[in-house]
Amino acid sequence: MLEIKNLKASIENKEILKGLNLNIKAGEVHAIMGPNASGKSTLSNILSGKKGYEISGEVRFENNNLLKLGIEERAHKGIFLAFQYPLEIPGVNTNNFLKTSLNAIKKARGEKELDAIEFLKLVKKKSSDLKIEEKILNRHLNVGFSGGEKKKNEILQMSILNPKLSILDETDSGLDIDALRIVSEGVNTLRGSKNSFLIITHYQRLLNYIKPDYVHVLKNGKIIKTGNFELALELENKGYENFL
Amino acid sequence: MTLELKNNIEKMFKEKKLPSENIEFRKKQIDIFLTKGFPNKKIEEWKYSDLDHIIKQNISNLNFELKLTGDFNYNNSEILNDFEHNKIIYVNGKIKNFDFPFEERENIEINYNQDFKTSKNSINSLINLNNALTFNYSKIRILKNYNFKKPLVIYHFGTKDINSSVINFRSDFVLEENSSLCVINIFKNHSKNNFININQQYKISKNANLKNYRIDSELNSGINYFFTNIDLENNSNSETFIYSAGSKFFRNEINCNLNDKYSSAFISGIINLNESQHHEIKTNINHLSENTKSYQLIKSVLNDSSKGVFQGKIFVDHKAQKTDGYQLSKSLLLDKDAEFDAKPELEIYADDVKCSHGSTSGNLDENSIFYLMSRGLSYKQSKKLLVDGFLNDAIEKITNQDVKKYIKKLMKI
Ligand SMILES: Nc1ncnc2c1ncn2[C@@H]1O[C@H](COP(=O)(O)OP(=O)(O)OP(=O)(O)O)[C@@H](O)[C@H]1O
Ligand SMILES: [Mg+2]
Repeated sequence: MLEIKNLKASIENKEILKGLNLNIKAGEVHAIMGPNASGKSTLSNILSGKKGYEISGEVRFENNNLLKLGIEERAHKGIFLAFQYPLEIPGVNTNNFLKTSLNAIKKARGEKELDAIEFLKLVKKKSSDLKIEEKILNRHLNVGFSGGEKKKNEILQMSILNPKLSILDETDSGLDIDALRIVSEGVNTLRGSKNSFLIITHYQRLLNYIKPDYVHVLKNGKIIKTGNFELALELENKGYENFL
Repeated sequence: MTLELKNNIEKMFKEKKLPSENIEFRKKQIDIFLTKGFPNKKIEEWKYSDLDHIIKQNISNLNFELKLTGDFNYNNSEILNDFEHNKIIYVNGKIKNFDFPFEERENIEINYNQDFKTSKNSINSLINLNNALTFNYSKIRILKNYNFKKPLVIYHFGTKDINSSVINFRSDFVLEENSSLCVINIFKNHSKNNFININQQYKISKNANLKNYRIDSELNSGINYFFTNIDLENNSNSETFIYSAGSKFFRNEINCNLNDKYSSAFISGIINLNESQHHEIKTNINHLSENTKSYQLIKSVLNDSSKGVFQGKIFVDHKAQKTDGYQLSKSLLLDKDAEFDAKPELEIYADDVKCSHGSTSGNLDENSIFYLMSRGLSYKQSKKLLVDGFLNDAIEKITNQDVKKYIKKLMKI
């Protein structure tokens, strides 16, 4: 589904990704762990199409040259990024935004757009699954949301948009135990033979809930080790400093 | 300006068969105007909007002696059907129709006498010009305890019949004690290159309440000056909302005099411009008595090479203790040639007051655009969402729900 070959990226003449290789097949869950500033968010930004990087290498998503696609086209094709720091958008009602987003994607895919009633039904179901208070969906997008509410709102968007590849950038950071379980359920519900995940985290505890197929260690702009779930435990015990 | 112009104007006064006293008044006013000319940037208050220059650039051979003889027609389809309302219709500055079907007429007095008294604030030469050349004058008095049941929409139609002319008119409103009125000025100007000079005066008595909305939303070549004076007495309130987007040039100037205790004035506004449009909102809030309150919020969005200006002044008299004055202006500059100028002024002579002002100017946030686009929205959709969101809190200040809905419809929100 996603094939990254020798991806290099720099910003303001600073090289951040230094030849990264990664393969994710349909239905797989990959976790990436790595020290601060190693380039994890940079990788997720680049996969989502954020501008401002000088990029070389190859990234294919299904049959597309991903790097040639615009930000919104990637979303239409099924890429979703749960932001490490979701943005606050004043004056924009969360529900309206969710509906605009879902219908933009449906439209691009040639599917029938949802009307207000169908949408509300969907949102009601998904938000109650995630134990998100419906009240906050009538507030402005992320404005004044608690840290945990913002993260849950990202997962709500994910479960409404039903992406093929979901990238979760430290979605677990700042979540309490209950929220962590709820978020994990959100991921596990979506998990299946067609939907893949790239989960960026610092903590092995998330991976107790979402068992990954592979764990990668990203350090200094490269994947330096790949293993299974055991690798996460080993990392947590040793720390990055003593690793390799 | 020429002697010939002066003679022609004086001839026009005679033809109108005005009382001699009134002619004398008008002659004096036109003399002052002709001496001063149109305001230019050398005058501090006009430094961002050089009207003299703007008129010269846009109108050649300005005609002051407009003879309103034609039977100008407006298009009925331009009358709003969004909500029930009373109407006053001006076509090319001439009063065409008064229609108050929803009100108790015994509680409203309408007077068309052309022999009006000068407005006391001759703050610039345009007021003199308006005093001299206004032949369309109305005064509406709302009697004690009467609350208008429906809004009053004042339509400002301009037709293709006229161009390059100066159009002056004036209306005065008196709200007696405990009365209330919602006025909506709507501009539908299809004329070409005219200078439109409007003066509205409001006197709001004890416990009375004014809602005052003005909507210039359709692209047109008009050069407008709209002066409004609002006098507020004990415990009275005025709410003003300005949507400034349609005309080539528009300066809304609003004077609020908080003359007595517990009176309050709220002004919110949106300047939303494209191409080479140039709009200004100028406010003077005068806190002249204790325990008075004012609030101002102006949001501006400037595209292309448009220019927006907000000059807001809060004056606090030494008597006006416990004044609460607030002013905020925020603007979004969406193109490199767009310009916004803000000049907040606080002049405070009392010590126990709470006054603040702020002003910010910025671009669209790239990270927010990225966030929205990563959810499948196009750049255009994301930009519109952010801009609408930015303007939202000014719209939310509108307390009349029909008007709020209408504004949102105009803005396609
Ligand atoms: N716009 C930018 N300009 C300059 N440097 C940048 C920019 N964006 C990221 N960087 C730098 O790139 C490096 C990698 O940042 P990135 O956000 O990808 O790290 P991360 O692995 O996600 O870290 P964390 O675990 O703290 O979230 C950091 O040193 C960061 O300062
Ligand atoms: Mg990060």
